[in-house]
Amino acid sequence: MAKTSNKQYAEALYEVTQDLKGSDLSDAIKTFVEILVRDHKLKQGYNIIAEFERTVKKASGVVELEITSARELDKKIVEEIKQTFGKNVEAVTQVDESIIGGIKVKLEDKILDGSVKTQLKSLKQQLSN
Amino acid sequence: MSTNAIVEELKKNISAFEKTVEVEEVGTVIEVGDGIARMNGLIKCQAQEMLEFPGGVMGVALNLEEETVGAMILGEFRGIKEGDTVKRTGRILSVPVGEQMVGRVVNALGQEIDGKGDIATKDFYPVEKIAPGVMTREPVHEPVQTGIKSIDAMVPIGRGQRELIIGDRQTGKTAIAVDAIINQKGQNMKCVYVAVGQKESKVARIVAKLEESGAMEYTTVVVAGASDPASMSFIAPYAGVAIAEYFADKGEDVLVVYDDLTKQAWAYREISLLLRRPPGREAYPGDVFYLHSRLLERACNLNKENGGGSITALPIIETQAGDLTAYIPTNVISITDGQIFLETDLFYKGIRPAVSVGFSVSRVGGAAQIKPMKKVAGKIKLAMAQFRELEAFAQFASDLDADTKKQIDLGYRITELMKQPQYSPMSVEDQVAVIFAVNNSVFDDVEVKDVAETEVKLIEFMNKTKRALLDKIKVGEWDDKIEADLKSACNEFKK
Repeated sequence: MAKTSNKQYAEALYEVTQDLKGSDLSDAIKTFVEILVRDHKLKQGYNIIAEFERTVKKASGVVELEITSARELDKKIVEEIKQTFGKNVEAVTQVDESIIGGIKVKLEDKILDGSVKTQLKSLKQQLSN
Repeated sequence: MSTNAIVEELKKNISAFEKTVEVEEVGTVIEVGDGIARMNGLIKCQAQEMLEFPGGVMGVALNLEEETVGAMILGEFRGIKEGDTVKRTGRILSVPVGEQMVGRVVNALGQEIDGKGDIATKDFYPVEKIAPGVMTREPVHEPVQTGIKSIDAMVPIGRGQRELIIGDRQTGKTAIAVDAIINQKGQNMKCVYVAVGQKESKVARIVAKLEESGAMEYTTVVVAGASDPASMSFIAPYAGVAIAEYFADKGEDVLVVYDDLTKQAWAYREISLLLRRPPGREAYPGDVFYLHSRLLERACNLNKENGGGSITALPIIETQAGDLTAYIPTNVISITDGQIFLETDLFYKGIRPAVSVGFSVSRVGGAAQIKPMKKVAGKIKLAMAQFRELEAFAQFASDLDADTKKQIDLGYRITELMKQPQYSPMSVEDQVAVIFAVNNSVFDDVEVKDVAETEVKLIEFMNKTKRALLDKIKVGEWDDKIEADLKSACNEFKK
């Protein structure tokens, strides 16, 4: 049998628990933990929870952003960036001085790179050709 | 160019530079170890695509699975850790190619490692490429002169052929390949020597030898050393043939030596097992045959419409205790157009190069010899075959009839004549003269121990007095008159 991935566990849990409430929910979670024990997957618990969070966010249309800038960003700018990517946006901000200037936005599996560091790098490449 | 002009040029370039926001597709490392990394993300990653790890280390995507991508890391993998961000590059693994590669020592990625500065090439060739098809090829017809008597006479190699050099350790496999490269001087050949998993000291020695004999003027050396990651050993032969393909596409002839493919197979086995591909016989993965067949199939002799270039491949395989029936040797024997088999016994008997005449074959054969060589070589091949049959009786010397004895004596003399020290390739016209002489009984009354000395004298005599005749032979002319002239020259020498 092929191995079940963390993502598959998380998705299964999400589907089962979606419409449950109260004691039914506790029962479902108990059964799920028992399945994890049976499959020796308990130590993957944290990863499965993280995966579950991602699944829930995706299902409810929440977009996760990771904004990296060289200096602390103004609240207003952060808001503006969030607006550009949709309504339901959760943003984490980071400060990384090595990018010199500009910002980098990470969106799921994509990075929008507008940092001065990357632009200098491509300028260097263009000049050396 | 004045300083101002440079400044202006720079200003122009910089103002022309467009600021763009780059969109990069990334993934996250979830597992790393022994030159292999597993990542999630990288949704649109292609097979064989280059990936960029933090710190500029490159990797190649090999396994595309449902949730993860498995990649081999080209270079230092110790700095990579779980959670690192990996970028797609959108490029298939390729190496720089061009005239500038000639005379250089590079690693498996085509980067210089000889300290002679950057290699400024314009073109890149993909490391993996489908071999030329049927309609672009033509039969092998031109010889590769290795300068080694026993090979040029008995197992001739043609341009575009794949001839395997196989034997135990320390039987002189590399020596044959290096001699062949040295002898390509002035023969319109480019050479690529690919060292896979070799000791760096050995490679350094070979490079020094090639430089000393002037062979580096037309040779590129690709090195994946014993301490480099397995991924480098795996791709080095493909990088070597990519460099060769550049020249072949321009209509030039190229000789590629893969030293050796056993180690490449080991490296591929290591990578495959780490990627959890199922092991098969001798723990090699199921596609280890394809590993070598797709490499050697890229050796070719292109027809006129496709430029007329050629790639000759000399793969080397190391056997364990002469075992030709192991997995990798049988595979490569079946792929190549013949093999030169080197034997430990012969080597220690002092017959060097230790070519085993019985087991060595060339499936292209006479088509890859110039006419004079074809004429004279047939006779000694036959003589050697008969000698091998009779050799066992040699100890009953006194009871043998005259014919048998004569045959055995001739066999000993030919064997002696086929000996040749390392780094002393012989021109084809000299070879023809010597073999013609032994066919025409010049050596019959020479003691076996004096054969080598007489050979030197014969070549000296021929070059001094019959140079015009040798020049004719060199360009492949052969008729009754030349034969008669050569015969009289031999008689003249005997006196």
